Amino acid sequence: MNGARQSAKDIITSYSGRPLRIMEVCGTHTHEIFRLGIRKILPPQIELISGPGCPVCVTPVGFIDEAVYLALEKDCEICTFGDLIRVPGSQMSLAGARSKGAKVRAVYSPMDAVDIAKEDPDKQVVFLAVGFETTTPSACLAVEKAKAAGLKNFSVLGANKTMPNAYQALKGSADAFLYPGHVNAITGTKVCEELCGQGVSGVVTGFTASELLTALAVTVSLLQKGEPFFRNCYPRVVRPEGSPAAQRLVEKIMQPCDSEWRGLGVIPGSGLVLRSEYAEFDSRIKYDIPKITGRPNPGCRCGDILQGKCKPSDCPLFGKLCTPGQPVGACMVSGEGACSAYYQYAT
Amino acid sequence: MCVGLSAKVVSVNDGTAVIDASGAKRSVSADLIEDLEPGDYVMVHAGAAIAKITKTDEEEADEVMEELL
Repeated sequence: MNGARQSAKDIITSYSGRPLRIMEVCGTHTHEIFRLGIRKILPPQIELISGPGCPVCVTPVGFIDEAVYLALEKDCEICTFGDLIRVPGSQMSLAGARSKGAKVRAVYSPMDAVDIAKEDPDKQVVFLAVGFETTTPSACLAVEKAKAAGLKNFSVLGANKTMPNAYQALKGSADAFLYPGHVNAITGTKVCEELCGQGVSGVVTGFTASELLTALAVTVSLLQKGEPFFRNCYPRVVRPEGSPAAQRLVEKIMQPCDSEWRGLGVIPGSGLVLRSEYAEFDSRIKYDIPKITGRPNPGCRCGDILQGKCKPSDCPLFGKLCTPGQPVGACMVSGEGACSAYYQYAT
Repeated sequence: MCVGLSAKVVSVNDGTAVIDASGAKRSVSADLIEDLEPGDYVMVHAGAAIAKITKTDEEEADEVMEELL
């Protein structure tokens, strides 16, 4: 172990001050902290809570219902990141729709969905665009690519979300945030600095053992000083200005809208929708999708878990009716979900 | 939230970069990073290179901790 990592570990393990609640906003952070054994070295005064930073987890049930509708009623071929396929909808998941003959396939990138549409003009391809600032530029690249190619058989069912207003909604739920490094790689650090000005503390965090330990050590040290703070602990990837090219692209193709988050409800201005110039690629407009109100399982506590109000193990379904093999809630399905992490590493 | 894959850029041509991630090669979009060149290390997400990687995580940890202590 190098000196810096040892120093960081010492700061964390020797902490004996007031109880601290630190929210790892990003689902990948939740998993890596478990996987690397970092939770095991935390003193009891430091509590890590999981936040809403898993795009699959915060996508509401109604979105799955819309995708199932397009697959079964409109005979569209659904292209999606793999995790969404098993998320339960009100009636069924996309995997369930596939068992009824729907065409559903996992893709690595939104651009792959455009290529699938190009290969077969008779096929109507819909890409499920979920994700935060990190992922949205790729969806925008796909729309640009489809427009440049003059494709008439490609569209996007969007549920893209942005973090700033979610941070506002989560104010007070933790003493400090571990900000999601790859979101900040796109957005830069201005939002975090502004939050600091409003009294919200946090650090931008990477994903390796060194990065997670140093970020936690910085957080624990600076919380003891009692003043709001912001530090970029992932400067090898995150620059203050982020990616101007990605920001320009998203601004060109999408505009802000209100968006529903599982557990958090509708957060004004926290979503993105295609601008009118790209309306032909908006699945909701193209297929005139009726308003669908999703009905989540009433026993599932994913919503509370995403807000840090309870732990996965507090949910009565966890590990009993809800397992990775038979998930009830999105947080158990996704590889980034808190329930999945707790099931995999803490049981 | 946004799993990234670190990789080395092998070539860049017309908005597309060929990357090498531990021996596996793949084409990704180079449109989100200005001035991307062969030999650069990048973070890749959802088929696009999203940021250059400028140093190792241990070098980074040294700097962050030095600033703190």
